[in-house]
Amino acid sequence: MSLDSISSSSSVDESTGLNRNSDLEPVDEQFGLLSLTEPVELEPNRGNGYGVANGSLNRERSNGEEEYERLTVQNREIFGDERPSSPSSSGYAGERGSSSASTASRIDGASEVDGDEIQEVRNDCSLEGFSDTQASAWVPGKRHVDEDDGSISWRKRKKHFFILSNSGKPIYSRYGDEHKLAGFSATLQAIISFVENGGDRVKLVKAGKHQVVFLVKGPIYLVCISCTEEPFESLKGQLELIYGQMILILTKSINRCFEKNPKFDMTPLLRGTDVVFSSLIHSFSWNPATFIHAYTCLPLAYATRQAAGAILQDVADSGVLFAILMCKHKVISLVGAQKASLHPDDMLLLSNFVMSSESFRTAESFSPICLPRYNPMAFLYAYVNFLDVDTYLILLTTRSDAFYHLKDCRIRIELVLSKSNVLSEVQRSMIDGGMHVEDLPLDPLPRSGSSPHLGQQRLPTDSPERLPTDSPKRPREPFIGIGGPAGLWHFIYRSIFLEQYVSSEFSPPLSSPQQQKRLYRAYQRLHDSMHDKGIGPHKTQFRRDENYVLLCWVTQDFELYAAFDPLADKAVAIKTCNRVCQWVKDVENEIFLQGASPFSW
Amino acid sequence: MGCSSSLPDRSSGRSTGLNNADNPEGPDAKNLRVKLVLLGDSGVGKSCIVLRFVRGQFDPTSKVTVGASFLSQTIALQDSTTVKFEIWDTAGQERYAALAPLYYRGAGVAVIVYDITSPESFTKAQYWVKELQKHGSPGIVMALVGNKADLQEKREVPVQDGIDYAEKNGMFFIETSAKTADNINQLFEEIAKRLPRPSPS
Repeated sequence: MSLDSISSSSSVDESTGLNRNSDLEPVDEQFGLLSLTEPVELEPNRGNGYGVANGSLNRERSNGEEEYERLTVQNREIFGDERPSSPSSSGYAGERGSSSASTASRIDGASEVDGDEIQEVRNDCSLEGFSDTQASAWVPGKRHVDEDDGSISWRKRKKHFFILSNSGKPIYSRYGDEHKLAGFSATLQAIISFVENGGDRVKLVKAGKHQVVFLVKGPIYLVCISCTEEPFESLKGQLELIYGQMILILTKSINRCFEKNPKFDMTPLLRGTDVVFSSLIHSFSWNPATFIHAYTCLPLAYATRQAAGAILQDVADSGVLFAILMCKHKVISLVGAQKASLHPDDMLLLSNFVMSSESFRTAESFSPICLPRYNPMAFLYAYVNFLDVDTYLILLTTRSDAFYHLKDCRIRIELVLSKSNVLSEVQRSMIDGGMHVEDLPLDPLPRSGSSPHLGQQRLPTDSPERLPTDSPKRPREPFIGIGGPAGLWHFIYRSIFLEQYVSSEFSPPLSSPQQQKRLYRAYQRLHDSMHDKGIGPHKTQFRRDENYVLLCWVTQDFELYAAFDPLADKAVAIKTCNRVCQWVKDVENEIFLQGASPFSW
Repeated sequence: MGCSSSLPDRSSGRSTGLNNADNPEGPDAKNLRVKLVLLGDSGVGKSCIVLRFVRGQFDPTSKVTVGASFLSQTIALQDSTTVKFEIWDTAGQERYAALAPLYYRGAGVAVIVYDITSPESFTKAQYWVKELQKHGSPGIVMALVGNKADLQEKREVPVQDGIDYAEKNGMFFIETSAKTADNINQLFEEIAKRLPRPSPS
């Protein structure tokens, strides 16, 4: 499964464990800096993951039953019992299955540092969609620059990210001024090189409820220190994305600077990019693309998306490597030159870069960027233009002199898009939102060309003033405030072949950003345990705790993550998941980009 | 070159790179078109100068330019000629320094900006002047601009230093404030006046 490919590289450097007592002492000393009182435990580099290493999660697999037509109630035994399953493993201090009630609220509650700041600033552009709900509460750019590792507030931050060089020079820190963190960076570097000198590699240190995750990329070290109880693989994936974002800005040829001068100071090269990294880190808590490694499309009528694709294809044939039309983080259409394919992670990093850099909104721009999955060594040139507040066009080329050609391409594209009403359809889709669990059809939709927007039965008149996250306004009597049928609250469906996902809009009771973030964290743990390399991959999982019933179903074709009311009936939940899959199939031409150039890697 | 073949309307005046407007001696002597590049340290206000000139706006929140932004503005001179500026507003960050030739190659005008409250930015401006003297187009019109002139009380670069340096290097010098719009239009009008005029054929 392609998802594994990202994390599987870690298994290469598995080697001897680090659990000799002699190793523990110095590391423990180093971490005195973190002012942690609990004993430090070095996790040996075991191949089996940290998520679901032991018993309480049901591990039965339906061996031999490769093909499920439907997920049926008769298969319920594969879900095991309904105890709150616990992805507990030795040394994972915070997460114990039976005590998940207290644990979960402590992990994910509003107490997180981000949560503290949610009231601070209300952005004026709180227009629509979940991402805006988040954006309205989130302040871009680096905060707390005055802090350093001596500050109590800095130490209390729940999730730190650091980039440093292998000589210990700070490159980036999520909180605080990099230069003031030189001592701290040197400590991190000392830990890494201490272990490397022993012919080994440190991947994870657990210290009480803190996890310290390390990622070494040549001369660049990335470290996450977190007490959010996200699984190791998730945090590692986040470090990979941060590294990719840095490569997107500078290319991997930055390594040469360190070859020439090991004491090279990289911070000047990243000046002004705090906002890009902070926006990426913020997206770890709201954008599923960061952990399911797929992209999502703006829902559009098939013909509309085709019209957009046709003009982009026209442009691609004239020597443009990739032509990408997006609305916020959602794809309207994209086209690549022959044999060129774009990795979903590259799309995530590119759209994050464009959306977080305000200057792209002021005027048309021409800027070098690197797609780390396409070619980490070379710059491409990106022509970027916002067609309206949320909709933007990115044209990528290998030629540094192509600006005027790309400008002409944009003029042609814009003309076609406005003539064929694509831009107004995009606006309408932004207002209508995506799939709402309340709209889950009871029966398969009639297959006709004239079906309403995503099979919704609602009157068109109620849509204009409705915000996607604001569904109580809508006349949906039976489910107001309690999600969709059978207690369905939310789902994410990922098409494995298309490398695309669709996520339902958030509705009450998942109305606050904190609740939404908590759900995504739960999905991440679910994702992690499903793809666990030690005991997985699994096909199905059903877990119930005081927050949700979570159901995950993985086949060769798709992955489905669904969240239900914690009191939802299991058999009905399973039936509902089947209906969700049918619904997705019924509207797949609207929610997915079909027939794009092959994305499989 | 390269991409010009599909664009017959432009192909006559192009040489290399991002040079759509390197040829003020266009067919029409009354309607000049010139490529202008802004260079200078990050944070000196290059984008603010351009946005004040092109859109009459000033946004005090700093927006870091990525790569380079392209804007154009046409002004009319008293002798009834019009000048269309095709402006490359480059990013001041160090990581883009190596790419500067991409933007200044073939430019008819270079506006080098520093911040009167920052001696470092004045040093950086001198670096750009030298670079353009070495690698810029021959006959390029250069202007030295001390921006943030509204911050008199924080001034660290004396006016005379700017005047002296500009004179030594055959540049036009002006102090501006994008915030108050002071001298912004004058800057571009002065540049327009100094452009080499095509000899009528």
